[in-house]
Parts: sequence; structure tokens; C-alpha cells
Amino acid sequence: MTTHSKRRTVAKLLAPLVAFGLVAAACGSDDDSSDSGADTTEASGSETSEAPGSASTDAAVPDGPTIRLRGQDFSEAITIAEVYGQYLEAQGFDVEILTPAGFRTEALDGIQNGDLDLIIDYIGGTQAALAPDAPPSADPEEIVAVIRPAVEEIGGVLLDYSPAVDGDAFVVRGDSEATTISDVAGLDYVLGASSQCPERPQCLIGLEDPEIYGITFADFVTLEFGPLLGEALSSNEVDAVIWNTTAPQITDQGFKVLEDDQGLFPAQNIAPIVSTAVLDAYGPALAGPLDDLSALITTDDLLAWNTQTDIELRESDAVATEWLESKGLI
Amino acid sequence: MVVARPGQTAVPRDIGFFEWFFDADTWTGNGGIIESLIDTVVLCAAATAVAALIAVPIAAVLAHYRKAQVASTWLVSLSRAVPTFAIAALLVPWSLRRGWGFEPWPIFIALFLLAVVPIYLNTYVAIRQVPEGSVDAARALGYGESSVLGRIEFAMGASLILAGIRVAAIQVVATEPIRAFLGGDGLGRYVRDGFGQNNTTLVVGGIILIGGLAAITGLLFVLLERLVLPTGVRRLVRQQGERQP
Repeated sequence: MTTHSKRRTVAKLLAPLVAFGLVAAACGSDDDSSDSGADTTEASGSETSEAPGSASTDAAVPDGPTIRLRGQDFSEAITIAEVYGQYLEAQGFDVEILTPAGFRTEALDGIQNGDLDLIIDYIGGTQAALAPDAPPSADPEEIVAVIRPAVEEIGGVLLDYSPAVDGDAFVVRGDSEATTISDVAGLDYVLGASSQCPERPQCLIGLEDPEIYGITFADFVTLEFGPLLGEALSSNEVDAVIWNTTAPQITDQGFKVLEDDQGLFPAQNIAPIVSTAVLDAYGPALAGPLDDLSALITTDDLLAWNTQTDIELRESDAVATEWLESKGLI
Repeated sequence: MVVARPGQTAVPRDIGFFEWFFDADTWTGNGGIIESLIDTVVLCAAATAVAALIAVPIAAVLAHYRKAQVASTWLVSLSRAVPTFAIAALLVPWSLRRGWGFEPWPIFIALFLLAVVPIYLNTYVAIRQVPEGSVDAARALGYGESSVLGRIEFAMGASLILAGIRVAAIQVVATEPIRAFLGGDGLGRYVRDGFGQNNTTLVVGGIILIGGLAAITGLLFVLLERLVLPTGVRRLVRQQGERQP
């Protein structure tokens, strides 16, 4: 009898451990990743590489090593990786789009140890990872000046950043009287944000700093990133959340993003990072088309992609193909 | 005005565990260990107590009349397969839309469902395994059905019933920290903040606090079993234990 109940106790004590494993895996994500099924999609472009469709570059198929790229494991990054990967395939490059995995750390590690040849990251995030001591900036040029040498140190080259931005957003309900973050100062709001926010100068510390915003919040609620932020906001549990600018729920649920009038949030333009080895092998034949593509992507495109993947639950590779076709790029 | 903000916000990453743990500020104030501990203990006690109050009578009566034997073992065991975190996470949007907030209902219901299973199963088995002879003897002495259940079966099964509640309480304490990931606080906040801020000291601290509380909970129930069990029944339990190794 005693042995029986003891064995049962052990089995049950393991259950919360498993639950915690799930939590730990879930809370690491920046977004709810709806597609994990976006496996290697080499089919879409490779057969058409001889086709006369690729008008923008020379007819000659570039010769060089396979370009391996992998999206970070949340839906926006997966779609971005598909867009860059399918575009390069259509240009005649030999591309392998790996199954999305990991986040920024894993992506940068991939460049450093040679597992990956192309990643697309957000420049403010890249700076936080590679040059954490440098002051963050709302000006992308300043950030690029800091991270370009840091990226070179890990064996990569930072290409031109895109006008598309997915940065921090101070989000309130649509009926809020505030239009800028400064307006929140007298409103006694309850703020909801991730557990990183209270210790980050670009988040709660900066919002409360009298030299920057000097806001006094009525309370702070720790909320993990994702749809819970929207639920908490619409049910009046919190009055403001720190979200990202391209979260499709913001417009979907009638919220609004307040203007960062003091320039607290760092610039988060997307920018490709290519491994030095692959860039040396191809030269401008690779960098040119990538820069052309980056220049074409806008913040509205990111938002539209996220709406399709997260709200309409479409697959990232299909969304990427459709966008590239609509722009006449493939 | 003092800003209400989560405690432990500025815990440096390189702080040693002991340095953190024995700092007075770690324990007091908004989000300190004492406040978090009270949050956790209150919720766990409530969930376990409500589960026991509901599950013990139902299981006892069903077992006494030998009803729902298949359903008891199969259905209730099956409910263990549903992860508590998933239940709580599903209930959070539901609770928010009704204006009930993050707490306490989603996490309370999830923990209640977690606790009901071992309490129900143990109670059912406890009543079921009371020797037929004892029950027949009681009936021969003129005991009615409610007296047989209340005075014979309940007393002889008390040890197993309490063991079920103990198992449930330990499970609840070990699982309750998920509330920190669903808009709540409690001791799980150290694990959550530690993961979020990449601060191992906080994660380790949270694990030690939660594990410690679970260990103390188990110990308290062992003491409780000693206090409430009649001496005769305790001797009986010991003998039964010797007979079936």
C-alpha cells in the first residue's frame, strides 16, 4: 500500500515539471508561432531558375555555394525568411530554407559557427545581443554604425536595412485620450508588459524616468508576449501594454499605438546578415538583389503578412510567394 | 506616490544565490517572498480544500454503494492526462471577457481539477478496500448504512484518504507557479522573471522556494495523519502494511 502511493507521488511530482517545460518553451517566443510546418521549400523557385521570368538581374545563373537560411521561430520571422529565400531562388541562387528554429541567439550563433549563411534580424535587437553596452537609439543609422563592426566580428556582413520596422509599441485601447506616450503621464494607467520590461532602460525604466517620460503607473502586470496582451487590454485589466508595432491584433481589436515622442524605443528595422564566406563567393551579385528586396519591404507589408499568418492562419511560405508575385519579383 | 511595481525588478544577474536569498529586501515589500508565499499558500489551500470537500463525500458514497466503479477508475484517471497549464491558459481569456480578471478563477479551477483526481481515487479505493467482515460485523451490531460508512469505512480508510489529499496538496503546490505565466503572481514569479531576464539566480531561488513549500506541505500532512488517526486504526494500518510488503 505504501509503496503504491509512493510511486504515484513520484509520477505526479513529474507532471508539473513537464508543465514547466512547456511554459519555458512557450515564454521564450516573441510571438505565437503558428507555422512550424514551413519546411524546406525548394520546389517553388528551383525549376523556374532557367525561365525568363527573373528580369531584374543578369540572365546568368550565379555560381557559388548553397545559401542556407533559417527563420527565427515566430510567424513574422518565418515569413520574412520565406520572402528572402524564395526571392533568391527565383534569382537563380542555390538556396536551402531550413525549418524555423530558435531566436536571435541561435540565428547569430548560426552565422558565427557557419551553420547558416543568411539571417534576417531586427537591428535594435542585434545591437542588444552583440553590443549590449552601447546606448540604444531611435535612429537606425546610429545603430548600424554600432552593429556593423560587431557583426563582422562574428563572421558576417550587415547589408542595408529595410524601411520595414517591427519595434516596441506602446499600445492603448482605442478610446484612450492619449495620442503620445507623454500624454499618459497624468492618466494613472496600469501597464502590462513582459518580465524583461521592468529591468530595461528602453521599457519601464525609461517610461518612469523623469528625464524621459516620467510616467507614474498605477500598477504593473507581468504578461508574457502574445495574444494575452490584447485580451488583458480589451478587458480593462490593464490600460496599456508594450507590444510590437506589427502585431495584427492592434488594428483587429481596435487598439492604437501611441507616438514615441521622446524616442525611447530603439529602431528595429529588419536587415539581412550574410556570412562573410558566402558574400565573398558571390560578391555584389548577391548583395545587390538583397538590398533591392530589403528596400521594397515596408512595415505595412509586415503587418499584412502577420495578419495573414496569425489571424487568417495561412502558411508563411504561401504568404511569401503571393507577396513576391504581387510585386513581380518571382 | 509610490509606484506599485513588481518586486525583484533590479536583481543583478551576477548576484549569488545566498546573497539574494538572505537579503532582507528579497523577503519584504511588494513582490517579496513573504507576499508571494502568502499568495501561493492561500490559493493552494483553497483549491485543495474545495477539492477535498467535494471529492471525498462523492467518492465515499459511490464506493459505499459500489457504484460507478469503471467510471471512477477510468474517467478520473484519464483526466490526469489533460495538462493543468492548458486548462488554465484556456480559461484566462474566458475569465477576462467576463470581467473576472486574471485571477483567481482560471488558476483556481485548473488546480481544483488537478487536486480532485488523487483525492477522489484514493477515497474510492479507501472505502472499497475496507474488509467485508468489518462491514458485516457492524451491520450485525445494528449499524445503519450511514453509520457503516461514517464510523467503520471512513475510519478504516482515513489513512488512505488523507494520503490522497496529501498527494493532491503537493501536486497543487508544485503546479501553482504556472499562474505567474498567466497574469498572476505567487512564488512562480521568480521562475518567470528569472527566465525572462535570463537570471539563473532567480530561477534557482524560485525552484528552491516552490520545492521547499511542497516538502513542508508533505511533512505537515504526515503530522496531520498522526494527529487525526485513531490509535486503533493506526495500529491496523501498520499491521496491514506488514502483511502486504
